[in-house]
Amino acid sequence: MRPQREYHIVVLGAGGVGKSCLTAQFVQNVWIESYDPTIEDSYRKQIEVDGRQCILEILDTAGTEQFTAMRELYMKQGQGFLLVFSITSMSSLNELSELREQIIRIKEDEKVPIVIVGNKSDLEEDRAVPRARAFALSQTWGNAPYYETSARRRANVNEVFIDLCRQIIRKDLQGNSKSSDSDRKRDNANRQDRRKEKKRQTRRKGPCVIL
Amino acid sequence: MDPMKRHIAPLKIEKGNFNFHTDRYHHAQHHLEMSPPLTPYNSKDNNMEPTETPRAVFHNYLRAFYPYHPSGNLSPSTVTLPLDQGDVILVHSVHTNGWADGTLLDTGARGWLPTNYCEAYDQQPMRPLLKALTDFWDIIRGGCGFPLNNAGNQDLVRGLIAGVRYLLQKSECLTRDCMLVTGHDGLRRNRKALLADLSSLVRTTKKFQEVGTGAAMQDDIDYMVDEMLLKAFRIVTRGVRFLDVWNEDVGLSRTIAELEQQSAQHQQDQVPLGTETCPIAEPAPSEADTERNESRLLNRSRLDMSRASTRLDDALPPRPVSVTTKRISISHRVSCSAPAAAVRNPNLASERLNAAYDAFLGVLGSFIGLHLHSRSSTELVVTTEQAVRSCRALLTVVEATCEHDPQGSGLLEHARDTMYERLSELVYAARDAFRPAHSPDDELVFLPDEGKRLVDAATDCVRAAGNCLAKARLMLEQCGDFELEAMPQDVAPVAPVAASPLPDANKTPKSPKTSTFAGDQPPRSQEASLRLPPPPIQIPKTNNRYSPPTPGLTEDNTPSSFQSFQSRGGAGTPVTANTDQSSFPSTFCTDQSSFPSTINTDMSSFPSTTNLCTSLDKLSFSSHDTQPIEATPHRDSQPKSEFGESFGRGVTSNGSSFTFNSRLRDSEMSGVSQTSTRATSPDIGNHYQVPSLKGSISHSTLAEENEETEANILEKTYAHELIFKDGAVMGGSLRALVEKLTAHQSTPDALFVSTFYLTFRLFATPLDFAETLVDRFNYIGDTPHAAGPVRLRVYNVFKGWLESHWRHDCDNNTLEYIVHFANTTLMYNLPSAGRRLAELAEKVSMVHGPVVPRLVSSMGKTNTATAQYVHPDTPLPPPILGKKEINLLKQWKNGDGTITILDFDPMELARQFTIKESRIFCTILPEELLATEWMKKSGSLAVNVRAMSTLSTDLAHLVADSILQLEEPKKRAAIIKHWVKIANKCLELSNYDSLMAIICSLNSSMISRLKRTWEVVSQKTKTILEFLRGIVDVSRNYAVLRQRLQNHVPPCLPFVGTYLTDLTFVDHGNQPLRNLPTDEGEMAVINFDKHVKTAKIISELQRFQIPYRLAEVPELQAWMQNELIRVRSSGEKGAQTFYRRSLVLEPREAPQQRNIQPESSSSSILENAKDKFDFLSWTHPSSKAKSVATNG
Repeated sequence: MRPQREYHIVVLGAGGVGKSCLTAQFVQNVWIESYDPTIEDSYRKQIEVDGRQCILEILDTAGTEQFTAMRELYMKQGQGFLLVFSITSMSSLNELSELREQIIRIKEDEKVPIVIVGNKSDLEEDRAVPRARAFALSQTWGNAPYYETSARRRANVNEVFIDLCRQIIRKDLQGNSKSSDSDRKRDNANRQDRRKEKKRQTRRKGPCVIL
Repeated sequence: MDPMKRHIAPLKIEKGNFNFHTDRYHHAQHHLEMSPPLTPYNSKDNNMEPTETPRAVFHNYLRAFYPYHPSGNLSPSTVTLPLDQGDVILVHSVHTNGWADGTLLDTGARGWLPTNYCEAYDQQPMRPLLKALTDFWDIIRGGCGFPLNNAGNQDLVRGLIAGVRYLLQKSECLTRDCMLVTGHDGLRRNRKALLADLSSLVRTTKKFQEVGTGAAMQDDIDYMVDEMLLKAFRIVTRGVRFLDVWNEDVGLSRTIAELEQQSAQHQQDQVPLGTETCPIAEPAPSEADTERNESRLLNRSRLDMSRASTRLDDALPPRPVSVTTKRISISHRVSCSAPAAAVRNPNLASERLNAAYDAFLGVLGSFIGLHLHSRSSTELVVTTEQAVRSCRALLTVVEATCEHDPQGSGLLEHARDTMYERLSELVYAARDAFRPAHSPDDELVFLPDEGKRLVDAATDCVRAAGNCLAKARLMLEQCGDFELEAMPQDVAPVAPVAASPLPDANKTPKSPKTSTFAGDQPPRSQEASLRLPPPPIQIPKTNNRYSPPTPGLTEDNTPSSFQSFQSRGGAGTPVTANTDQSSFPSTFCTDQSSFPSTINTDMSSFPSTTNLCTSLDKLSFSSHDTQPIEATPHRDSQPKSEFGESFGRGVTSNGSSFTFNSRLRDSEMSGVSQTSTRATSPDIGNHYQVPSLKGSISHSTLAEENEETEANILEKTYAHELIFKDGAVMGGSLRALVEKLTAHQSTPDALFVSTFYLTFRLFATPLDFAETLVDRFNYIGDTPHAAGPVRLRVYNVFKGWLESHWRHDCDNNTLEYIVHFANTTLMYNLPSAGRRLAELAEKVSMVHGPVVPRLVSSMGKTNTATAQYVHPDTPLPPPILGKKEINLLKQWKNGDGTITILDFDPMELARQFTIKESRIFCTILPEELLATEWMKKSGSLAVNVRAMSTLSTDLAHLVADSILQLEEPKKRAAIIKHWVKIANKCLELSNYDSLMAIICSLNSSMISRLKRTWEVVSQKTKTILEFLRGIVDVSRNYAVLRQRLQNHVPPCLPFVGTYLTDLTFVDHGNQPLRNLPTDEGEMAVINFDKHVKTAKIISELQRFQIPYRLAEVPELQAWMQNELIRVRSSGEKGAQTFYRRSLVLEPREAPQQRNIQPESSSSSILENAKDKFDFLSWTHPSSKAKSVATNG
């Protein structure tokens, strides 16, 4: 059997943006009623990305945001980063820049795999961060992909992790060779298409006809 | 592997071949992890209104509406369960081919049974009782081992009690003085027997608990557990019977009365009574087709059964429930679109399509079933005809749909053509399977090969039909639904089809019954039934190869549930193939590996019963040919009832006192062939036998129970509103949880109580809680023997709350209510308790803070906190502080002289840090940790948690600051060395929090990038650092750290961050409510499990809230405090300041402009760094990936 790859993903963001929900939703099996975060496997999940089996180990700092000194310890561990903010809080978006700087400083790598996540997309009526604002941030960060998720409705949850994982794998394969920006742009375009498609799908769902 | 998974082995196969069902199985996939697979041919999901949950329902209980008595040799490798009409079965799983693994409540025997002989038993008045039994079974047999002597067990018995109570309440028979009870002899007797059984169970349980507490033999425990289970079964069986009697005696007359009152218009709206009350109503009596007589007949008998059983539903509100019941029954049935059609317009094309499709599938199912039962060719003809007819019905609808299609439906037409082809293949296959009439035997059996062809053809038909249906639906979606003209004859066989897969039921002669609703039945159906001969079923010699195949199975896969069942047992299963006896119980016993639990029941606990059972069955099979015709309603002389007796308390009953139902008895009297024993051979199968406990109804040993006992047994309880898993409460309504909190039979466990006190404010307001307690205090008054202890417990709960768990910030508004309760109700019932509670309340209102210090009473202290015992007089370890150090500190205090950490012994510094942190840690209150209180942006109560994180951060900054202050790399290296030593001493003291802070800082980019500094740090220091880093490693969810803390004995200072993360995830990863299925749909109850998890984590933290026995050095503390504040005052941007200083001390080798900086140079720095600081290599992403990959 092919050795399975194990990747470390770090979830970062201000307190109260729903990071833990996002992680819990991703790691948790839908049908398990009860989630126990104290066991070793609580944050591990095997997924398939482009036909490869990967094990993701998620490091989520939820609850320890005030231990700022610990942050670097988490960051060092990570190969890819989910930077989560809440679309209902502009300040949570603003905090991301500092986090990214810290990541780049620690990883000494401008091209570290990052996905920007605007969580709580179900609270559209309370939106405080316009999409354009988030996309602008994404552009200044070298087109880091931007997703809007709803951990509560389990929308786009897997997608963000898979996207991040895909970036890590690509980086892994390329080693230290530069990944061309055009590559990234193309990818981003695809991603948006996919997102639209996804939306269409969700809209279509409703009461589905099953045989 | 998950034990559940083993039950669903065949699913994989289905996906491949059963394409059109793939979606559905996908849909059901997540259920499958928990529950057995769906029944076959269930395509009705989509028939439900969109508002309803479209998932198929798995029924826990079935009731046989046909006797099923496989003749002895049918399949010797199979553990089948013979059924009598009216038997109730607890279902464990249902195989996709329609066979279910179930336990017969009458005997406790477990085996496979055909679901098409049964209907879902889901009577509304019985639901709580049934659910309680399911829970009971799950706990005892559900693999939770033997934590049975804990409190959960007691609650399950109470669940059964609540169930019985509910049943009696619904049937208006709660007290023995009820009009119904006094007026109806049958009801009275049944009620009495039910209560007798209940009290017997209660007694057994009590005994069990007594035994459980002592050191009993495992055998004894097993025996008692089995006994309890069987008693529980018995109670349910009694309940079923009671309800039957009620339905017949009371429900029927009420419904008739109701009907008479109905206006003519109303009657038009409603389906005729006979159909309405039947879960699988017939389309319309007038449409009877002579060719379908057998099916109709079958329907009729079923009608009677279900009429009897649904009467109560109809008579009692809420009425819609019975509709739900009908609809739910779908999932067990091959076909039954009638209820849905009754609700919706049956002539809509979509409805007709579904109905016809279901009908067709049903018939095809019987084709496939043929393979299993290898029936005569005559029957094959009938079935083939049915298939053609129902297929035609389907195609009619499809044709009509085609016509309606605006833009030429090539797809649908193609599907239709394929359908035609497949059907003709089926017909040919059937024809070839015939033996000509001149064949030696009159009744012919087709050969396996032909059977296989037939099955293949049928399978193809299934596929084609599925395709047709999908295309037609698509079409309907596009062009819109439309109405067809009234249903032609052909489309009618909707309900009958359900019957057709029954192997021998079709052949069963039915006695023409004089039912109350005989008028509904066209006379010719009776003629037809008489016309039908009862041909004996021939068992082919090659029957070992016969098995019930699933439609989608290929011949390579073992197509039989039985075989897969065996293979599940593993190669080592000592089963079955060689046990050729006809006695099922013995076959049963051999299959231990698959069903160890039940089998143990049969073998170890009830040897005598097993023997009896065995001999009985032998007897019955030997009498196969000379079946006596028994026309008397009295059953006491039959082996059956003896069996029933011996199973119970061994008291002989007077069967003639049995008054089930005069109508049924009449019909029996006039029946053509009468048998009533379980020993019936399958061919003689009229069973208007009483759905019964084998005729033993009134043999209660508790001859006359007095009123009080009854009241005690029927204690009012909400136990049914609890959700259990492995004996622990997972959820429940507030009143049920409060009931559990104040249970009188057993002391609730400490975790439950402490969870309650700690977290109740998260799921109820303090006033709700108080009111529920008072309510509990009041309603227990109805149960005299329990009232005393329960009321004392209620008082104690109040007392505990006021004494040690009172929170002035949120509980104070409840105080008035409590005082009122103390002075009135409580004072009246328990005067001294009332006085004390009132005093306590007064004290609480005066004092600010807990009356009894909380830490003393909190669970962490009482439970597991076992610090190393140190004699109080043992002197504290003396501070490692020389004269020089003391002088330095004095000078510093006076404002002259500077000191650094190098001036002090690492151990002493570690001690002082530990004292400082421990002091804060020990003051953390549990409520600071609830509902992520510490994360609140403003007004957070969690001051101590915040102080912890501040201190940690300050310490980390102090480390960085002390290093970065110094210009020379060598001096910096010395400081690093000293901090590593301090960290190591912190580890010795089990101060993981400080250890974490120091390591984090040494690890941070601003320190780790100081290449020239690390060059002069000794290898020894680096090794220690690497070791310490391994301890606080965050990977695998802090596996190392958690491992260390697991059985750690205090004093210890754990890293608070892990608790905070855990609490956050418990809070956000678990829903606040759980769904509890009840008779009124789902009920959202408190997810208590979430709070238990929270409480566990908090208690884990509290376990360490024990101060260190270390001597404080005030001067040193003062200096440390000063340093920490100095570092903190450097502002929020502290980290950035440090980083800048780090850059100044050891500038980057490349120019500062990071953004333009070429990547190659940055990585070359790293390359260099890697060589020098090997232990930091993991910080580099690519090398990290490599190392991880090799690990994996």
